[in-house]
Amino acid sequence: MDKPSPNPLRTPPWADRLLGWLTPAELLEELQGDLQEQFAQRLDQVGLRRARWWYGLEALKVIRPYYLRRRLARLTHWPRDFFLKRHATPHSFFTPEHPSPPLINPDMIRNYLKIAWRNLIRHKSFSAINILGLVLGIASSLLILLWVQDERTIDHFHANGSHLYQLYENQQTTGNDLNTTPTTPHLLAPALVAELPEVERSVHMTPGTMLLLAVGTNSYRQRGCYASPDLFRIFSFPMVQGNPQTALVGPSSLVISEAVARKLFGRTDVVGRSVRVGNQDDRQVTGVFQDIPANSSLKFDFVLPSEPYIKQKSGTPRWSMNGWRTFALLRPNTDVAALNVKMLDFIHRHDADLTKVTTVMFRFEDTYLHSKFTNGQPDGGRIEYVRLFTIVAVFLLLIACINFMNLATARSAKRAKEVGIRKVIGAERTYLIGQFTGEAVLLTFLSSLIALTLVQCLIPLFNQLTEKQMAIPYANPFFWAGLLGLALITGLLAGIYPAFFLSSLQPVKVLKANSSTALLRFKTGAVLLRQGLVVFQFTLSLLLIIGTLVISRQMHFIRTKNLGIDRGNVIYMRVDGELTKHFEPFRQALLQASGIQSVSSAAEDPLYTGNSTTGVSWRTKLQTDNTLFFVLPVSYDFVKTMNIRLLAGREFSKAFPADSTNYIINEEAARRMGIKHPIGQEFSLEDVHGTIVGVVKNFHLNSVRVAIEPLVMPLATTNTMLIMRTQAGQTERALASLEQLTKQFNPAYPFTYTFADESFERLYKSETLVGKLTRYFALIAIVIACLGLFGLAMFMAEQRTKEIGVRKVMGASIGSIVALLSGDFMKLVGVAIVLASPLAWWAMHTWLQTFAYHVELAWWMFALAGGLVVGIALLTVSFQSIKAALVNPVKSLRSE
Amino acid sequence: MSRTYLGEFEELVLLAVALLEQQSTGAYGVSIADELKQRTQRTTSVTGVHVVLYRLEEKGLVGSALGGATLARGGRRKRLFTLTATGQQVLREMRQLRMGFWEALPTPFFA
Repeated sequence: MDKPSPNPLRTPPWADRLLGWLTPAELLEELQGDLQEQFAQRLDQVGLRRARWWYGLEALKVIRPYYLRRRLARLTHWPRDFFLKRHATPHSFFTPEHPSPPLINPDMIRNYLKIAWRNLIRHKSFSAINILGLVLGIASSLLILLWVQDERTIDHFHANGSHLYQLYENQQTTGNDLNTTPTTPHLLAPALVAELPEVERSVHMTPGTMLLLAVGTNSYRQRGCYASPDLFRIFSFPMVQGNPQTALVGPSSLVISEAVARKLFGRTDVVGRSVRVGNQDDRQVTGVFQDIPANSSLKFDFVLPSEPYIKQKSGTPRWSMNGWRTFALLRPNTDVAALNVKMLDFIHRHDADLTKVTTVMFRFEDTYLHSKFTNGQPDGGRIEYVRLFTIVAVFLLLIACINFMNLATARSAKRAKEVGIRKVIGAERTYLIGQFTGEAVLLTFLSSLIALTLVQCLIPLFNQLTEKQMAIPYANPFFWAGLLGLALITGLLAGIYPAFFLSSLQPVKVLKANSSTALLRFKTGAVLLRQGLVVFQFTLSLLLIIGTLVISRQMHFIRTKNLGIDRGNVIYMRVDGELTKHFEPFRQALLQASGIQSVSSAAEDPLYTGNSTTGVSWRTKLQTDNTLFFVLPVSYDFVKTMNIRLLAGREFSKAFPADSTNYIINEEAARRMGIKHPIGQEFSLEDVHGTIVGVVKNFHLNSVRVAIEPLVMPLATTNTMLIMRTQAGQTERALASLEQLTKQFNPAYPFTYTFADESFERLYKSETLVGKLTRYFALIAIVIACLGLFGLAMFMAEQRTKEIGVRKVMGASIGSIVALLSGDFMKLVGVAIVLASPLAWWAMHTWLQTFAYHVELAWWMFALAGGLVVGIALLTVSFQSIKAALVNPVKSLRSE
Repeated sequence: MSRTYLGEFEELVLLAVALLEQQSTGAYGVSIADELKQRTQRTTSVTGVHVVLYRLEEKGLVGSALGGATLARGGRRKRLFTLTATGQQVLREMRQLRMGFWEALPTPFFA
């Protein structure tokens, strides 16, 4: 023998570990002993290396079904004598040494499911109510979660996503308020790369512009943008034709999407072909990129190089001229916080006048969901809706789960006997828990399958509603894992209370003959819980209903609010092509046509004014005043066409040639400037000096979320958007005239127009969507809750059949019986109303604060919601109550 | 008559137990494996032999008791197997069965 060592036999330790792990405990000693004896023999015969090799090989052979099965049986505490008679203990099956089979083992699970299935079939109405509720709950939360998932992945497909940043400007307005905008000067992007080593690349681009793309007579208006050359190197918009590095370099280049290529040429290999842009210059296609995916917040169909555009458009480039989006690709491992500090005075360094403008970068991936800023810090945005709907999804599932719990506990009295008998026979508590949870899980799995089918059917509709292109990600294993997890969690959640409650029943009490008194005793706890759950359910439903009410009131308020602009009967049309040159004759011709009241033009949609500047001055302006003015260039007759009230002065007029440098301002501007009589006062915008000739009443420049800001309206030099007011009821005729004249003046362009109303609706797209969605989901919530109530009422009525019979015999009226049965539930709904109202008030108050102009919460909203719920609940319950009350007592009392 | 069926390897192991329990080493994993290797010229793994022994024990053909420990075994006891009456009976039947076949052969092709 070798000298003593920790392992005197020097067998491979890994093999010993394997043996210890795989060999059944009762066999380990003899087997390992034999192997070591053999090892000792071989050590003498063939040497250490080969002996060890043999030993390892033998140890590996323990991986054979015989040992593994036994080992598994040990792990799951199966009685050993199930396999090995040597250790059989004849007297008792389960002893401390041989514990009972555990909760989770294949045979028991099979048994749970079998019994669950039988119960499901036997109580068809209860099962139907349960399944219907769960299906609705799961399907709607699945839809919501699909939407949430889609929202969360928007802009997340860029390969550089983790160090792709968007630049924002913080403009200090009055006081210390910061106004955060994504509009930046075009000078910023090249300066970033030149001066900051942390910035690898940077790109600027304009927000979308519509331009006519034409090949021969084949012409389409498309949404595109001007961008600097690195666009396709920063973002992952793969090019299928052309070189992404150089495609945007040449002054006459044009990059188009595959869809546009197909539209114009019928194919996509079109590099080098010529396209007429904006009906004036011919451009060579230098690249074709894959169509922008639906989950991108940047959307364009073509891109033009920005450099020639900048040269053509403006004289000296200035740092105060905003209007471009700037993106930066940072080098990996850049400390963004430190960089942001460094960036604070970036603009100020370039233009000493811009003392109150700072620049800050936010990760581009986050800007879609977090696009609202308060004092320069991201403060919500779409993420609020994403969170809201995640909560709604959880609510819906919870309500459905509660139904299940309620019905299961309600029926517990019926199943109490079953539990008693099982326990007497020898079932342990764990078995019973397993069985009841098994039932719940089976039910949720069934429901999930049905829900999945339902979602598959509903998803086209849902896509239409949300304007997305979502699909059930069947190929994604995470989706299946998620769905499975959802079903399992729902099942456990729904089944856990009945499981623990029912399994706790004591067989002696339950099985005692005529056990109703015993049952009553244990029932009080269950009843209390059940009532609590019903209250909880209806509280959630009420929250959703009140939410829906308030949101739709607010939407109605926005739609009908007097915006200071009369957008009814107003039609917008893009001015492009020949119309730009011959606008005045075109306008005159329109005014002659029938059905048209007034025609004007503006630089953009007056209900969505985006341009702002601090580059304004007036005589009494203080050095420290940095008021931000919105700028909306308009042409003659604008005030008249939009029906804006003129408070003082006059509109621009051809009679005054000096108007080209004159200004009209709004009330708010006058107030901020602190001038009582602004007419005739000097005013300059971007160093263009003139006088104020008119003051208009405030009108909304933007979403009603934000307060009305100062506005200055210069006379437009070019006409970008035609604004036309039709005579009331003459819209058809006016449109016909407009089309005919457009064709005549501008034959190369297709005729398109929008109603100011539609354009306005688009401003509140997300609010409208949220309004619609909450309406649907509130409806579903109340349906699910009522399903549960219906089931409970059904059960109660059934249970109290005898009582009702006796009451009737004693002379109770049908009405009093219905009142008796409904009363209990109404009390619960009443409690729910009391609980939900303050909660809902708080939630909706918070939401409404996000609007600068909003409706006030009124008591009637809560009363209406409460009344609605009481009404629906009453309807649900009384159906059962009346049914029970109408039964002939002879029938109900005869049984037994 | 219901017969206990044995596989070929099981039969060999059973025979080895019958042989070795008479000897001083006794019938246990290693001795059986050695005996089999010596007689059949094929590699037999102790692990495999053990499985067969347990199976025979479950069938009631062998009995077992724990024996002494040696240092070579790392201080572990060995399980010594003995033939049970049923085991003897089964072996006897096996032999008779085979003998019956041999006797039925009209011309044995080797003598």
